[in-house]
Amino acid sequence: MSDTPVVSAGARPKSSMPWPLMVGGLLVGLHLVIALLSLVWTPYAVGDMVGGRLEGPSFVHWAGTDRLGRDLMTQIMIGSRIALVVGCGAVALGALIGVTIGVLAAFATRTLDDVLAAALDILIAFPTLLLAMLIVASSDGASLWTAILAIGIAGSAIVARLTRILAKRILSMDYITAARISGTASPGIVRIHVLPNIWPTLIVNFALQFGLAVIAEASLSYLGLGAPPPNASWGRLLQEAQASVYTAPFGAIAPGLALVSLVIGLNLFADGLREAADPTRRRSR
Amino acid sequence: MSGFETRNQAAGRSNRAVTTALAAVLAMGAFGHALAAESDPDATVNIGSLYEPQNLDNTAGAGQGINEAFNGNVYEALFRLTDAGTVEPVLAKDTTVSEDGLTYTFTLQPGVTFHSGAPLTAKDVKFSIERVTAEASKSSRKNSLKTIAGIETPDDATVVVKLAARSISLPYNLSYVWVVNDEATDLQAKEDGTGPYALQEWRRGSSLAIARFDKYWGEKPKNGEVVFQYFTEATALNNALLTGSVDIITSVQSPDSLAQFKDNPEFTVSEGKSTTKLLLAYNDRVAPFDNVKVRKALARAIEDEKLLKAVWGDYGTLIGSFVPPTDAWYADLTKVDAYDPESAKALLKEAGYPDGFTFTIDTPNYDPHPIAAQFIQSELAKIGVKVEINVITANEWYTKIYKAHDFQATLQEHVNHRDIVFYGNPDFYWGYNNPKVVDLIKQAESSATDAEQAEKLKEANTIIAEDAASNWFYLYPQIAVSKTTVSGYPLNGLNSQFFAYGITKAVE
Repeated sequence: MSDTPVVSAGARPKSSMPWPLMVGGLLVGLHLVIALLSLVWTPYAVGDMVGGRLEGPSFVHWAGTDRLGRDLMTQIMIGSRIALVVGCGAVALGALIGVTIGVLAAFATRTLDDVLAAALDILIAFPTLLLAMLIVASSDGASLWTAILAIGIAGSAIVARLTRILAKRILSMDYITAARISGTASPGIVRIHVLPNIWPTLIVNFALQFGLAVIAEASLSYLGLGAPPPNASWGRLLQEAQASVYTAPFGAIAPGLALVSLVIGLNLFADGLREAADPTRRRSR
Repeated sequence: MSGFETRNQAAGRSNRAVTTALAAVLAMGAFGHALAAESDPDATVNIGSLYEPQNLDNTAGAGQGINEAFNGNVYEALFRLTDAGTVEPVLAKDTTVSEDGLTYTFTLQPGVTFHSGAPLTAKDVKFSIERVTAEASKSSRKNSLKTIAGIETPDDATVVVKLAARSISLPYNLSYVWVVNDEATDLQAKEDGTGPYALQEWRRGSSLAIARFDKYWGEKPKNGEVVFQYFTEATALNNALLTGSVDIITSVQSPDSLAQFKDNPEFTVSEGKSTTKLLLAYNDRVAPFDNVKVRKALARAIEDEKLLKAVWGDYGTLIGSFVPPTDAWYADLTKVDAYDPESAKALLKEAGYPDGFTFTIDTPNYDPHPIAAQFIQSELAKIGVKVEINVITANEWYTKIYKAHDFQATLQEHVNHRDIVFYGNPDFYWGYNNPKVVDLIKQAESSATDAEQAEKLKEANTIIAEDAASNWFYLYPQIAVSKTTVSGYPLNGLNSQFFAYGITKAVE
C-alpha cells in the first residue's frame, strides 16, 4: 500500500487565515454585497437622466454623471452585478466543460489523450478575447449569455489541461491500482479518489479564472460585444468615458477602480486559497 | 455603394460650416487672410487627419480621405462645389445648354496643363467622365451620372455632353469628376491632374505631401507645400496639434477634447454646421413602421435637443428633416412632430398599439450610436415602447442593413450633401415609398431652373417630414482647430473637400 502523502478532502489549515485571503475576501465580499444590493436598491433607476452632462462627483451623484446625465454610481453598482454574474457563469461553465474533458483525457487511450492534449494546447494558444469575439459574432447578437458562453468556453481549455495533468498524476498512484483491483469502476475512482485530491488546486485556479473572466467581460463590453444596454458593464462605461477623459476623468476612473478592485480582490483571494488549501505549501511553512 | 456614404465610410467628414457673412466671402472664392501681418508664401502647412486614403484614385474605392487631399488641390473638375455650397465653373470656361436641356456644351479653360506637362484637351475630359461611369468604377457618384447618353469632342477645346433626360444637377455632379490626363497610368499610386498642387510623396500609413505646381493656370496657392499627416486615433491627433507637429485638425470628433484648445491663445477653434445628420432609420416596409402614426409617435417621444446636448454639448444644430440649412430646399421643419410625449401616446393608441410594442435598433458600435441608442431606449420606455439594442460593426451594417434590408430600425450618420434624393428611391435601405415623393424628386431633377428644382425638393422635403419617414435628430457641428498662425482654410469643406490653396501661415 502506498504511503504517498495525500490529504483527505476537507482538510482545514490550522494556522490563522493568510492575509491575502482576508483582503481578497473583503474586496470580493464588498462587490458581492453591492451586487446584491443593486437588485433591490440603486441610488437612481438605471436609465434615468437625473443630472447634468458629465457632472463630477458630488453628494447627489457619488461618482458623477455620464453624457446623458445618468448617475454613474448606479451604473457601477449594476456593473458589479454584471461582472459577478458573468464571472460566476463563465467559471462554472468553464469548470464543467474543462473538468469533464480533463478527466476523460486522463482516462483516455494514449492516442486520444495526445489528440486532446494537442487540441487543448491550440485552444490555449488562441487569444481568449479573439475566441470570445468569434463566438459572439457567430451567435445571434451579443447578450449576457453569449458573453458567459464565450468566456466560459475560452477558459475551459485551461481548466481541462490542468485537470488532465492533475488527474493523470493521481491515476498513476499505487492506491488507484489497488482500488481497480478491488473492483472500483472508473466513475467511482473519479468520484472517490481523483476529484477530492485535485479540487484544492482547481479551486485556486477557478478563483484566478474568475478574475480573468471579469476582465474578459469588460473587454468584450468595451468592444461593444458584451451584454447590451441597459445592462451597465464597466467595460462599456470605460468606453463611453473615453472621449471625455480630459474634461470628466472621473467617468473613466470610477469604473476603472471598480474593475481593478474586483480583479485584485479575486487574485488575492486565489493566492490566499492556494496558501490555505495547498497541502505542500502549508507543509513547507 | 451607389451614391451613398455613411459617416464611417465617408471618413473625410470635413463639412465645415460658417457664419453667413463668412459664407458669402468664401462663396466668392476669397479665403480669409492671416491676421498675422507677415505670411510665408512658401510655408509648409501640416494638416492632421484621421482619414488616410486607401489608394489615390477616387474611382477605385480610395475612401473619402482622397477627396480631402486631392479635390481642388491636385485634381480639378469642370465645376467646383464651393465651401458655401454653390457650384462654380473651374475647367469649364463657358457652358451653353440647349433649349430642351439635353445638350451641354462646355468650352474648356485655355492654357491648362497637366502636372506631366501634357495640355488639357477635350479628349481628357471625355476620358475622365467615362472613367467614373465605367462598369469597373467604384465611384459613389456613378449613379447620378447615368443620364449621360454620349460625349462628343468636336475640337480640343469643346466637350458636348448629351443627356437621355434633363438633369439640373449635372454641373454639381460633374464637380466630383476629376479631370485626368487620358494617357495617365497607375492612378492608384500616382496622379496627373491640373490642380494647383502636384503630388510630391505619399508615405503609406503616415503622410501625403503635395507641393505647389509652378505651371498652374490659375491663381497661385498661398503656401508652398501641404502635408496631410494621418493618424488612426483622435487623441494622438489632438496631441500632435498640441505639440506642434500639425497646424490644423480638419474635424474634431468630440466636444470634450476641445477644452484643451479653447482657452489657449495659441489655437483657433472654428465651429460651423456640417451636412452630417444623425438619424434613426426605420425599415418602413415592415410593421409597425409601415404605419405613419407609429413613426410620428416615436418622433414626438424623443427629445432631440437633449440628445444633441449629451453628444455634442453646446455644439450642433437641430433638424426637422433630412435637409441641412445649407441646401437651397431647406425648410425649418423642427416643429413637425416636435417633442410631445402625451400626443405620442395618443397616436400610438390610434395606431392600434395602446400598450406599445418592442423593436430592435441595430446600432453601429462606434460613437455616438451606442449612447444615442440608450437615450432612445430610455425615452421610448416612457411611452411604453421597448427597445432592444443590437450592437453591430460597420461591415455588418453594410451587409445586414444596406444590402439585405434585414432590420427593424437602425441608427446611422449620413454625410452627403444633397442626399434627400435617397427618399425618392423605394429600394433604398429604409424602404420609404411615397409615390408622390418619388415623382417630385424625379421632376426636380428634370427641372429647367434651379428655382423650380428647389421648389419641388422643398415640397418633397416637407412631405417626408410630415410622414416622419425616418427620425432625424441633429446635424453635426463641424469643428476645426488650428494654430493661430494659420488661417484661410475652408470651414464648410462640403463632401469632405479641404481646399488648401488659400491657407496662409505666418512667418515663425
